[in-house]
Amino acid sequence: MATLASQQYTVESPLEAIELCYRMGWTDGLPVVPPSQQRVLQFLEHAGREPSQPVLVEPVTGRIVTVEKAAINAVMAGCLPEHFPVVLAALEAMSDPDFNLHGATLNTGGSAVMAVVNGPIVQRIGMNSGVALFCPGNRANATIGRALHLVLWNCTGNRPDELDKTVMGHGGRYSMCIAEREEALPQGWQPFHVERGLPAGSSAVTVFTAAHPLQAGYHGSPDPKEILINVADTMTVLPPWNQELLMVVSPEILRHFDKARWSKADVGEFLFQEARRPGYAVRRAHKFRYSYHAQAAGDQDMLPVLDRPEALDIVAGGGEGGAFVLVVALYGNGIHSRSITREVQLKGTQEV
Amino acid sequence: MVIVARSVTILDPTVEAIPSGTLIARRPDTLNGVTVGLLANGKPNSDKLLDFVGQLLQQRYQISALVARNKGNASRPAPAPIVDELARQCGVVITATGD
Repeated sequence: MATLASQQYTVESPLEAIELCYRMGWTDGLPVVPPSQQRVLQFLEHAGREPSQPVLVEPVTGRIVTVEKAAINAVMAGCLPEHFPVVLAALEAMSDPDFNLHGATLNTGGSAVMAVVNGPIVQRIGMNSGVALFCPGNRANATIGRALHLVLWNCTGNRPDELDKTVMGHGGRYSMCIAEREEALPQGWQPFHVERGLPAGSSAVTVFTAAHPLQAGYHGSPDPKEILINVADTMTVLPPWNQELLMVVSPEILRHFDKARWSKADVGEFLFQEARRPGYAVRRAHKFRYSYHAQAAGDQDMLPVLDRPEALDIVAGGGEGGAFVLVVALYGNGIHSRSITREVQLKGTQEV
Repeated sequence: MVIVARSVTILDPTVEAIPSGTLIARRPDTLNGVTVGLLANGKPNSDKLLDFVGQLLQQRYQISALVARNKGNASRPAPAPIVDELARQCGVVITATGD
């Protein structure tokens, strides 16, 4: 049996254990499942990982999150053992320098870590990719997303009494995890993780540093151009030159794209061209007025929200009834943080 | 009905803060003859603030040289080449934020 390094506390009842977690400052404000050794060992057994293995390192403070600490926090979040490999893959993705964990989780703007899960594991653990996509109600979505933020809370100092300096914060820090609705993708479109280079049939998670999303909806026409003009209009409140921008698109709109034979590249190109604001409007509204790019632009030059067409990430998701998209800007408009995809390693499949 | 209290043992979910291994460098007795680095953090105006600091230091001391660099992105660490260059050339480095 694996040997665990974490300090143990014994209390008289499960309820007392929950209260102890509150007193110790270990919860996000909601009750947690008491992390017993037996439950934590089940998680480690399921993932087939050594407890002392590091999965996430805070790049500035040097704090190391081991598989053991990840498991304890996943138990507390309410995960089942079969959710734990997704949590581990997400934490490993958050270790990538391009994700910029320190800046992304402690900044004054206050983004949340949004996870998007792809592949067969979505069905296997019963994740929601459909109706009420960002709502409470699905255990896997809710607890996987919560586990990531509990790790930040308990292990890397992402809390206001330590390093977190966010002014308004973000509700997604309780939990912000969805699955892609791959079956709603138009013909010829690849699932998100396959676009990122992983094999079809693999399972993966992608982490984004999500700002507060913007919702657009247009029910006046099945024409992709008319739908996307509405989306472009919503997007123009964002600063120009986003290096990366996520758009979650509902099945109804995806069906319109399918009928019109629009590719993902077509959508990116159209929004790159249409989501623009004149130079004078950008200068007066954003601190980009200082930037050499914006200073050099003429008053009537139309500055694009997307730095280039390929800066747009598209994920399928949401319920049937309604032509909606959610536009999710990334921390620092994708300049400070990029999304990272990692394959979910299931026991017996990880590389040695 | 009799409810039997069952003791529960739980595990600590936290990671101890690592004591900083960083030591404060010895302060020079004077800036005369010292090359001073000015590292702006990429926020607008941080470079202007440091330019002003550099001018004041030049008025007050016989500074050997000023090396002004901008790390370009306030959220990310300074690129290694900039850190290496400043470490190699400078006796003192001053940094600033702005907005």
